[in-house]
Order: sequence, then C-alpha cells, then structure tokens
Amino acid sequence: MTSMINSSEQPVVRIIDLHKYFGSLEVLKGVDIEVSRGEVVTILGPSGSGKSTLLRCINLLEKPTEGEIWFEDTCITDPKTNINKVREHVGMVFQSFNLFPHLSAKGNVMLALRKVQKRSREEAEAIALEQLAKVGLSDRAEYMPSQLSGGQQQRVAIARSLAMDPHVMLFDEVTSALDPELVRGVLDVMRQLAQGGMTMIVVTHEMGFARDVADRAVFMDEGVIVEQGTPEAVFDHPKHDRTKDFLGHII
Amino acid sequence: MVAVLSLLVSFMAPPTQAQGLTVKKTTATSNQITGNQIIGGVPTRITWEATVDRNEAVKQITLVFPEGSSLGEHANTKATVLEGTIRLDTKFTSTISNTQTVVVFDELVESDLLIRLEMFYVALPEASGEYTLTGSYIDATGREIKLEESQTISVIAATTVDQITQWMDDQPWVEAWNSVLFLKIFLNPQYLVASVPALFFGWLRSLGLVLVGFPLAIPIGLGISFLRMARFGVIRFFAAIYVNVIRGTPLFLQIYIAFFGLPLLGVSLDSYVLGIIVLAVNSSAYLAEIFRAGIQSIHKGQFEGSASLGMNPVQTMFHVILPQTIRRVIPTATSEFILLYKDTARLAAVGVMEQMMFAKSLVASSGNMTPYIVSAGYYLLVTLPLTKIIAEFEKKLAAAEGSTEAPVKKPKRRLFGIGSIETLIPQKKPDEPLENSRSAKKLRLDEEEGPHDKHD
Ligand SMILES: Nc1ncnc2c1ncn2[C@@H]1O[C@H](COP(=O)(O)OP(=O)(O)OP(=O)(O)O)[C@@H](O)[C@H]1O
Ligand SMILES: [Mg+2]
Repeated sequence: MTSMINSSEQPVVRIIDLHKYFGSLEVLKGVDIEVSRGEVVTILGPSGSGKSTLLRCINLLEKPTEGEIWFEDTCITDPKTNINKVREHVGMVFQSFNLFPHLSAKGNVMLALRKVQKRSREEAEAIALEQLAKVGLSDRAEYMPSQLSGGQQQRVAIARSLAMDPHVMLFDEVTSALDPELVRGVLDVMRQLAQGGMTMIVVTHEMGFARDVADRAVFMDEGVIVEQGTPEAVFDHPKHDRTKDFLGHII
Repeated sequence: MVAVLSLLVSFMAPPTQAQGLTVKKTTATSNQITGNQIIGGVPTRITWEATVDRNEAVKQITLVFPEGSSLGEHANTKATVLEGTIRLDTKFTSTISNTQTVVVFDELVESDLLIRLEMFYVALPEASGEYTLTGSYIDATGREIKLEESQTISVIAATTVDQITQWMDDQPWVEAWNSVLFLKIFLNPQYLVASVPALFFGWLRSLGLVLVGFPLAIPIGLGISFLRMARFGVIRFFAAIYVNVIRGTPLFLQIYIAFFGLPLLGVSLDSYVLGIIVLAVNSSAYLAEIFRAGIQSIHKGQFEGSASLGMNPVQTMFHVILPQTIRRVIPTATSEFILLYKDTARLAAVGVMEQMMFAKSLVASSGNMTPYIVSAGYYLLVTLPLTKIIAEFEKKLAAAEGSTEAPVKKPKRRLFGIGSIETLIPQKKPDEPLENSRSAKKLRLDEEEGPHDKHD
C-alpha cells in the first residue's frame, strides 16, 4: 500500500521517451506525457499519427521498443512486472467493442470479475448489474451482444471495464464505429465518468466532447506530441501550423 | 435321445458285434444363409463314409436318422464307392423315408473300399442338439450286423430369421424377383433379411470404434493445435511434423504400421483397442488443423479485450476463445467424425471385427453382394442424419453471426453433400474495417489450409 500523500501526488500514468517501431517503421518517436489522478486527457491527431499505438502501449497491448512507462509506482516496461496485475487497474475501451459474443451483457461484465478477481457468482452478478445500470442498460442485462445496438454494445464494454474498478480508463475512438444517433449515449456515459473523477485518456475525433470534457488536449502528429494545453489553448489558439492545419480540416 | 434310438436299433438288429465296417466321417452341409451351422428342420445334405474292413464284404446298408428327422421334396440317397481316390462304377438301389435310408448294392462291396452315402434334402430334428446316425449292414453271408455309432452332427434350432428366409424361399414373388440377375445378386430378399440382424453387431462395433476414438482425438488434436501456435519455433516445428506426416500418409499405411510394427516391438494390444488408437491418432491431426483454423479465425480483438481486463492467456483461451471456437468448428469437426466413421472400414484389412469385416465374411460365405448393400445402409444410417445436422447447424451459425448471405458452397470430394463445411470458419483480417469485423459477418474460405482433404 502506498501512502495517501504519495499516491495523490504521483501521476497515474507517466511515459518517458517512448519509442515504438513496427519493423523498421518508427511509429512513436519519443513521447513524454504524464497524467495525474482525476485528469481527463484527450489525444488528437491525424490518422496514422500513432494515437492508438500510444494508448495500447500503456497496457502493453503493444510492446514499447524503447522508453519507460509507469503506472502509479509500477514500471510496466520492466520485464519482471506482472502485466496482468497492471491491466486489472487499467481499463480500455476499443473502437470495435470487443465484447464476448458468446456471453450476455451481464456475462461479459462478470467474466473477469469471476476469473481474474475470483469473486463469487453473487458478488460478480451484483457488480455487473450495478455497472450496467450506470451505463443505462439495466433492462438489457440478459441480452446477447448480437441483440444490442452498437451504442449499447459499447456501453456494455465500458461497464465491463468499469466493473474492474480501474484507476485509469483508456478510450480509443470509441464512437467512431457508431451510427451518429448512437454516439450521444456513449459520450454521455463518458461525460458522467469524467465528472465522477475518473482518470481518462481519450483518443477521439469528437471535438465538441474534447473541448467540453477534457482538462488537457494533446495534439500528436507523426509519432510526436506537437503541442498540448487546455482545450481552449489548443483549439482556439493553436501555436503550431500542423495543429492549425489539422483543426482546420476537422472543424 | 441318442441312447433311446440306439436301443431301438439294437432291438431290431441281432446284437452281432463283429464289426466289419468302420465309420470314418459323418457330416451335414450348412443350410444356414448367413453362417456355417446346420439348422434343424431345414433340409440339408448328410454325408456318411465308412471303409469295409479286411475279410468283409457289404451287400446292403441301412442308416437310421435321428428321431424327428424329415424329408424335403427331392430327398434321395446316392452311394459312391472309392478305391483310394478312384471312384468305382457301382450300381445300387436306394430308398429313403423319414426314419431311414436303405442302400442295396448290385454287387458286393469288397474289403478296403470306401463307401460314401450322401443323403440329399434330409432335415434333421428341429430341436438343437448333437445327433448321430445308427443302423446296420448286411454282409456277404446275409447276416445283419449293427453299425457302430457315427460321429455326431451339431444341429442348432432355426432362428426367426432362418424361418423367414426359409419361408421366402417358397414364395413365388421372391422367385420372380430373384429371376432378375441384378436383383438376385445385389438385392436378394433372403440375404437382405438375413444380413440386417447379422450386420447389426458389426454396426455396433464400428460405432464403438468411432465413438471412443473420436472423443480421444479431440483433446489430442486440441493439444497439438496449441503446440502448432506455440511461442517456440521448435515446438511448432515438431507439432507441424506430427500433423503433416499423419495427414500426408494414407490411413491404410498407418494401420499396417501399427498392426504389424507394434507386435515386432513386443507390444501386443487387443486389435480392437489398437484400432481405436490408430483412428484417434489419425483424426487428431485433422482435428488439430480444424481447431487451429478455428482459433485463428477468432478476431484479435477478443484476445485484446480479454487481456485488457487482466485475463491471462490460459483464462482467455478457456473462457473466451475456445467457447467461440467450438461453435465455429462443430460443422467441420462433425464432418471429420463422418470421415473417421467411414474410415473404420479400413480396419477390416487387419482383422478388426467391425461392420466391414462382418459384411465381408457374409459375402464370402454366400457369394451374394446383398450383405454389402445392407452394410451401406448401416453406414448411411449414421452419416445421412449427421450430414443433415451439419447443414442445420451451418444455417443457425450463419444466422447467429448475423450473416444475410448463405455460406459459400464448394463441393468437395468424398463428402457427399456436406461440401460447404470447410467454409464455416469465418475468417477476418486483423485490420478489417469495423463494419465487417464487429459481428464476423464475412464467411470466407480458408484457402491455404485444407484440413478436410481427407484421407489418402
Ligand atoms: N500492428 C502493426 N503493424 C505494423 N504497423 C502498424 C501496426 N499498427 C499500427 N501500425 C502503423 O503505425 C502507424 C500508427 O498507427 P496508429 O494506429 O497508432 O495510428 P492512429 O493515430 O491511431 O490512426 P487512426 O486515427 O487512423 O486510428 C500507422 O502508420 C500504422 O500503419
Ligand atoms: Mg487509431
């Protein structure tokens, strides 16, 4: 157990000089970033700039080539670290939901509670129902993923991550696969989460959401962070041409 | 009964015990349609042989049938006299009745000659038992001398099937049917009736082979499929050798190696057990490829979703990947089951008692093809419903995966009508656009792997 003072001062995620190669292609070219507790950071950038790769390095879905990543007081790039322990506390929501199609909404939420946290069925079920209620899906607990809309599936995926009681949530373009009318429901859930004090790193193209909810906006291009600051600073007064270019295209 | 009979005879003939005839052989020809036994109550041919002793000559022979014997329509007795292997031209007159036959030779049969009596269309008693022929002979001087008791003939009681085929023999429509050569040879009513029960146990034994062999092959195949995807190249290499050697050589050869090779190593196993093992090993290689294709068809998002929740690879495999794989491979694995079931027939070549072996021996003893046709029916009894089930499952799976398109059908050799099963593993490219990936809509042929190109 770390002391209260320490953990409140310590960043939840700290990335130091992160490099990532795919073969000979350098996708991340030295990224440094710190995310403090309760902070909502949104990452923007053109396609192929390395946003997903950066996010996926944080829970080691991609193995960094160089650099260090710290989660609280654990260095996750240290080979001796049990990454599964870390992942329990790092929630991730994917663009493609990645729900387990053979399990109901409730079953999806319960699985890791039972198998990873070794909770009893009753306990897991109670947590699952509570989390599904939080994302507004109490009445869909018994539905199979194939019986749910994309927006509902994504909210189940969020509930599934939240049930593990994560210290930080990673969102990778979680609304870009959704029909426009379904986006709002998912963003509402994320907004609520942010207001509840969850530490979040959000890769998104939803500029409205980024502006409203984020404490900090980070603009990435070609594997480096080009500029970062408050949403107002980045969106309204971008310093770099590349940022201006990008925002010009998007807005 | 035999005792009573011989007692009876001893009253009729004076008890002269100076034996001048030695009974060499007493047999009856099998009258069973699917076997080699002698059925009581059904006409058969009885053969009786005796040699004339030194200083003896025979004028007349009387053979008494066991009590309860009867005669068929064309019953008669034929006598042959042999000197060594040379058949002598012997004239005789014979009479036959329900109780006995009497043969009178025109000239005396001299010593050292062999007398063979063949009694055609004589039905031994209906009750099962061991029967003997008794009787007497008259020598040159006109003395009647009691015969020594003959060898026994084992008679079994007629079964229902025997009775039915017997009855059919007399039916005009059966005769008409059998007058067409093709029908007589391939769809003979009598052999049809006789083969169904006779092959039933062969059918059970074949089913037993596959019902034990296939479940054994599943864990082996799954294990091999894991090794095929192992992190270390050496392990993958050896697993690949296992799979490719087994899939690349004929099952027939594997059976021969196992059945003739193991005994040379001093390993002696029951042939049925060894048959199961060979089938299981063979099938495991095919199943390994089916499982591997199934596991690799699961979208990588499933692995990542599991990992992001802190599940380790083993938990991910057993709780996320395999449950989805199983559904996807059921049609392919079922067709593998069908192939393996049909392959049990190959074990007949090394003498494993199974359906093919039963059918072969029936055909060999009858010279009629009908047992093979019945055998085909027994195989179809299993394979056709399974084929139907596969088709149903394919439909359900396609519906569950949210596909509106029917799975691509590609006819495949040796799979009569279940050609589409290899298409059943939906395969997605890892970075497919989401519209396709989110419900595994696209079913696509796994072209490079052909786990179903079975067998030699
Ligand atoms: N597994 C991989 N193997 C090889 N190259 C990869 C792999 N994953 C990503 N890349 C490459 O790395 C670069 C960055 O990809 P990444 O997915 O991080 O971009 P992104 O910023 O998330 O883009 P988008 O907005 O389109 O999602 C791209 O050029 C991509 O082609
Ligand atoms: Mg991305």
